Order: sequence, then structure tokens, then C-alpha cells
Amino acid sequence: MPPSTCLRCLPIRPAPSPRPVLLCHIALPPAQTAAFSTTTNLSAAVAKKRPNSHTGPPKRGVKALNIKKTQRIKSGRPPAPGERKALRKRIVLSNTNALEVQGMPDLSDKNITDASLVCRVVGIPGLVVDSLRAVEAFKPTQGWGLFRRPAALVRKETLQLGRYIQEVETAEGKKTIRRVVVGERGSGKSTLLLQAMTMAFVKGWVVVNIPDAKDLTIGHTEYGPLFNTNPTQYVQKTYTANLLSQISKANKAVLSKLQLSQQHDLPIPIQSNISLDRLADLGARDPDVAYPIFQALWAELTAPSTKGAVRPPILFTLDGINQIMRYSAYLSSDVKPIHAHDLALVRHFINALSGAQALPNGGIVLAATCESGKPPSPTLELAVAQSEARVAGAEEVPQPHPYKAMDQRVLDSMRDVEVLRLKGLDKDEARGIMEYYAASGMLRERVDEGLVAEKWTLAGGGVVGELERESVRMRI
Amino acid sequence: MPPRLNLLLTPRVIAYRSKPAVGVWRAQHASKPQPTICAVRGFADKSTDLPVSEDDKGPNTDPGAPHVSEEAAAMAKVTGGSGPDLEQGTPVQEVVKDDKEAFDKLPQVMKDSIRAKTANPKPQTRPYSTSAIRRADLVSQEPAESYLQEGTEVSPPPGLRFELPDLPLPSTSNMEHRYDPVVAQVTNLLMRDGKLSVAQRNMALILQHLRTASPPQVSPTRPLLPGAPPPSHLPLNPVLYLTLAIDSVAPLLRIRSQRGAAGGGVALQIPVPLGLRQRRRQAMQWILDAASKKQSRGSGRGGFAQKVAEELVSVVEGRSGVWDRRGAVHKLGVSARANLNFGRKR
Repeated sequence: MPPSTCLRCLPIRPAPSPRPVLLCHIALPPAQTAAFSTTTNLSAAVAKKRPNSHTGPPKRGVKALNIKKTQRIKSGRPPAPGERKALRKRIVLSNTNALEVQGMPDLSDKNITDASLVCRVVGIPGLVVDSLRAVEAFKPTQGWGLFRRPAALVRKETLQLGRYIQEVETAEGKKTIRRVVVGERGSGKSTLLLQAMTMAFVKGWVVVNIPDAKDLTIGHTEYGPLFNTNPTQYVQKTYTANLLSQISKANKAVLSKLQLSQQHDLPIPIQSNISLDRLADLGARDPDVAYPIFQALWAELTAPSTKGAVRPPILFTLDGINQIMRYSAYLSSDVKPIHAHDLALVRHFINALSGAQALPNGGIVLAATCESGKPPSPTLELAVAQSEARVAGAEEVPQPHPYKAMDQRVLDSMRDVEVLRLKGLDKDEARGIMEYYAASGMLRERVDEGLVAEKWTLAGGGVVGELERESVRMRI
Repeated sequence: MPPRLNLLLTPRVIAYRSKPAVGVWRAQHASKPQPTICAVRGFADKSTDLPVSEDDKGPNTDPGAPHVSEEAAAMAKVTGGSGPDLEQGTPVQEVVKDDKEAFDKLPQVMKDSIRAKTANPKPQTRPYSTSAIRRADLVSQEPAESYLQEGTEVSPPPGLRFELPDLPLPSTSNMEHRYDPVVAQVTNLLMRDGKLSVAQRNMALILQHLRTASPPQVSPTRPLLPGAPPPSHLPLNPVLYLTLAIDSVAPLLRIRSQRGAAGGGVALQIPVPLGLRQRRRQAMQWILDAASKKQSRGSGRGGFAQKVAEELVSVVEGRSGVWDRRGAVHKLGVSARANLNFGRKR
């Protein structure tokens, strides 16, 4: 129904009269026109809507997921550079919890050829322990840290080494014995080298030890060419300086009594009657002159003995010979791999081992293979097999594979070197070392025939490393 | 290889049973004549096995003296008083009420019951004993010894190449259980990604650390298991060291949360007792948790083993936070003990 009154006839709102605003604007300065408003809410920022099911998905570019990363809280002092490695390579030679073994004899210069000591564990005298530590004869993986003091089992091969030492000392024309110790992993090769060094120290010999040949060839130490050499040889001067410091520290008692007797062409001026340990110290202090001083020291040690200056025999040992019977990780200037025998220190050892460089005052050159993580060196294996066949007087000496490249330099260096093969302990030796374990309190079982047979068998026929692993280290 | 003999027998809940003498072949037992009168009677033996008296008389069957009540009645008759009623029998309590000497000769149980009725019991004391007495005298080794004393040589049956083993066989003679149970269990708990060999190496490193570290300084506020050897003996027996550390912090119970049982959407906390292996597992998990949060000091592959070993030492020394975790569980268990019977059928 339409309204009774006409809509158009209704009174409407009067039109706004023209305001005098313009006048005000003109009259007042702009600063006073600040708006006073009661509508603060309108000028405030709009509160964000919390997302719910009606708001839909988040807009593009908006970070919807907010995950805080967990902060790693670092507490305490971070380890200093090299501290963690030092902890890993630390050598502990004593366990104060272990029991002292009563009646254990010490190795001395009197009893190194004593056959009654075979199958017994013999202690290493304290002064020699310091020297052995200086030449890095102890390895971090060996079990020295489980027992009260360093001691080692005298096995048949140890007695054989003692006889070698006696042989060298009593021979008419000074004799040099050269051997390579081979054997499976854990068979005691490094420990045999250590025992040889122990005997040499108690006998007053000079001991030069290259603790791990891997350090020389894997490219971890600096190298540089040696001038006037053909083929070019390479010198590792930092390693040489370190070696000189080890020689000086370990043999101080012997070297301090020996004096310089020859004229040497050295880059630094030295006193004419300087003692040999101070000469080695000079080289240890400055890597740049280390190699010439090493050569001078070697020349002094191998100088023929006179009435006034008696030079002692030398024991020259190297562990891990399979690392130096191949190409090294170094590159020459024309980017060809350098053969390990072209490294000056390695060549020095190889010359002594092969007999190319004689030891006029007598001595023993010993090398041991290293079976853990060993690089392939088929030529060395062939040379070892040939040497064993030669000594055994076999009809047929193993020949190189006709279709495989052999390293002639390796074969030449091993041409007349004998091999000392270490096998497992026999039952008596195993019993001797297990009784030592029990007396130290490390093996909590009664050592009888049954237990020895059990452990000996589980150790792969008396492999001494395995024997220690299963009976002392509880490695199941 | 761990020593076969586990010296820590205290945490194991094993009923003691004396074993037959070693070296006797069992088949020989069967052929032996049984002794006519068994010196030992077990609780479950039939009453027909009871020993029979030679003259069919028991200790009190001799009709010499009259019964106490009869005597009292006769005395009362003489003195003119009223004695006890012989028709009903007299309770012992009344008999000894005025007789100090007879009271002293009563068995302890009766004395206690009389005292409990007369005097007010002390608070915090029970009128009965809660300690179980092991009746060692009930288990006699006489039969086994009597076999040995007979002097007959125990000859092995023919056809054997080696001599008979000592019976019973040690528990480690089974190939599946040839290692110490704690070492085997902890090795499995150390294992990650199924690498058992790595776990075994870590276990060996842990034991080696326990053996070479200096002896622990045991804190009196965190007592170890009762019967633990002195701390200076622990490094020479690392398996015992490990077992002692784990068993000392092992919780007795766990809290099971039953959803919806308490009403209002709240879970009901129910304490559940744990078995031996479960207790050890929980303790070792806590120790491993604490060890993995430590900062490694060295580099190389022995770092984790080092941290675990240090945590074990700190458990024995009472410094570890694992003790607090165990305390929290025990406290919750005590406060929730009212829920123990939840859901149990009556």
C-alpha cells in the first residue's frame, strides 16, 4: 500500500550554508591547525587478525611457519688447536691401578743373550724408557697403559736379536746385520723393534729411529729439491730437524762424549770440537740447515774409530717399510709422482738397508712392515718371498709376474736383505705373557693349561696382539 | 673376555638353594638306595612320611603329672577356694597371669600377644617381626655327603673321550650366554645402526677407562648398593665396577600413565615394578643420555666411550644427575602408590 503522503512532499534536510572556513584558513597560521581528534582508535594500527579456519591460507610471501632453531649452548673453554689430537696420540706408560709384578727382571747389558729369560716378561729400565719415548718407539695403539711399568715378553726372536747385537760387537771386521721383520697384523713387529732399541740403548749404541715411514711419504710434511743431484732428490727439512732433535734427546749420554773429528762444509759456522749432541741440537733448531747437519752427523758417526775417538755401533730402524717401497704422494716440478727412494731421508735408509752405504763401526739396520692400512706394494712382497726362498735354499726362487710391472728399484734394494718372519707365540710363550697379565691383575682368571690353550687358539695360533686383545682388553 | 664369575650377587633376586656337591654324576644318584629315614622333612611332605616313635609314645604321653588345670582344681579343693572350671579348659593366659616364672618360659609369640593386649603398643613399632629367617638347617647336605663318604669311585660311563664336566654347568657355558649378562646387555644398548662390532669396541674402551682411571671417591650422600666392595678394589674388576654403577642407580619402578582413568581427561599415574633387566636398561639409558650431552674433549673414535666411562665414574662418585632422575621416579611412585590396585580384579 502506498503511503498516504507523497514522499516528495516531505520536508528535506536544508542544504548546508556556505561555511566561513576558508576565511579561517587564511587568517590562522598552519601550525595551529593541528587536528584535535577523539578518534584515536581509527588512527591506531589495525590489530592483526589471528589466523583461524575462516581466514584461509596465508598470503604469498607471508611466513606462516615459525620454527626457532635450537641454539647449541657452548659451555666451557673450547679445545685449543692441536689439543684434541694430542689427547688422541698421548702415550701412557703406566697404570697405577695395576699390580706391581714381583720378581720381574730388568733388561740389562748382561742378560740380553740369556736364554733362560725366554718365555718371561722383562722390564725396560727407566732411563731407557725416556730414550725410547724420545725416539717414539712406543705407539699409542699398544697396551703399555694397562700395566704398572713398561715390560715386554722375551720371545725366541728377541733372543735372536740379542745374539745379533753380541755378534756385531764381537766380530773382527765390524759387521753390519740387515733384516726386514715381517709378520701378520698384531704379531709383534713394532714391539720387536722396540726391544732391539732397548738392547741397543743398554749397550750404549747410537739409535736412529724413523717411527713411521708413512709420515715421510704421504705428503704431510714439506719438501724441496736438493741441488746438484741426478736424479733429483728431495729433502724434507722440517722432518729432518725433528729427527735430529729425537736423535739428540735419545742418545744424549753417548753423543755428548763424542766430538767432531772431520771438516764439514756447513752453512753455519760451528765450533771445531763441538760435541755431537750439540751439533744435532743446532740442526734441530733450524730446519734450513737440518739436512746438511744430519749428513755431517752421519759422517761423524760412521767415521772409522781411532784410539782417541771410538765410535759406537749404530742401530738404524724404520717402521712401516711398505710405505717407502712405492711411489710417494709428492709430485715433482713436472707433475710426475716422486718415487719414495728419491726422498733424501728414505734413500739414506735404503742405502743402509741394502748395504750400499756401509756402517764401518758395525751396526744393525732393521725395518718392519706395517700391516694396518697398508698400501699395495707387490714388489716388496715378491722381494720378501725371494729372500725367504734364498735363505731356505729352495730350488726355485719366486719370479716376477711376467705381465705385471715390477719396481726394479725395490727389487735392487732388497737383493741381499734377509727376512725375519714373526709367527704366533708358542704355548709356553703365551703362558708366560698370560701369567704376567694375571700377576698384574689385568686377567682375572686362573692361568692353567686349558685357559692358555683356549686363548692361544682364539688368538689365531698365538698372535700376540690378538692374545692381548681378548685376554686383557676384554674385546669380545 | 669378561670373567665368568660375577661377584656382585647382591642385586640379583635369586632364591638361595644349596647345590648338590660337585662332581657327582646324577645317574649314579638314581641307582643309589635312598636313605630309609629322611633326616629332613620339607613343608610339603605328606604326613605319612612322618617319623614313627619306637614305643608309640610322644613326648607328653606319659600319664605322670596331671594337667595344670586339674592340679589347680585339686589345690583349690584342698584350700577351699574355687578352682578353674575343668569342663571348659583354661586359657594359657589365665594360667600364667599370676605366675611370673611360667610367663617367662612362654614362647615369644605368646608373650608378645599378651603384652600387646595389656600394654598400649608403642607407635612406630610392630608387635611382630618382619624379617624372614632363612632356615638353613632345614636344607641338609647329608645325603650328598653320605654318597661321597661311601668311598666308591665315581667312574664315568664308558665310551667317553673326555672326562665328564662338572655339574651343574656354569651359566656361561651356553654359547648364547657366554659373556657377562651386564656387559652383553650394555653392549647392545650402546649399539647404533646395528653396528655390534663398534659397540663392542666402545665397551672394551669403557672397561679400559674404568680400569686405568683412579679409584672413585664414593660420596656418603649417594650410597651404593649394600655389600659393595671398597672403591680401591673396583678398578681391577671393571665389570664389577660397571655393574655396581648401573645397579646402584637402577630405578625400582616406572610410572605408567593410564589415560582417562583419573577422570576429567587426566592420566592416572600407576607405579609398575620393573624386572632386573628392565631396571638395568633404564639406568643405562639415563647414563647414555647424560653422556651424550657431555662435550667431547679428544678427537677420534673413542670419544663417546670416554664420555660414557666418565659418566659411570661420576655415578659411582655420586656426582651424576642420574641419581636425581631416579629419585624423581621413586618420589612419583610413592605419591602414586594409592593407584597400585587400579584395574586389578578382586
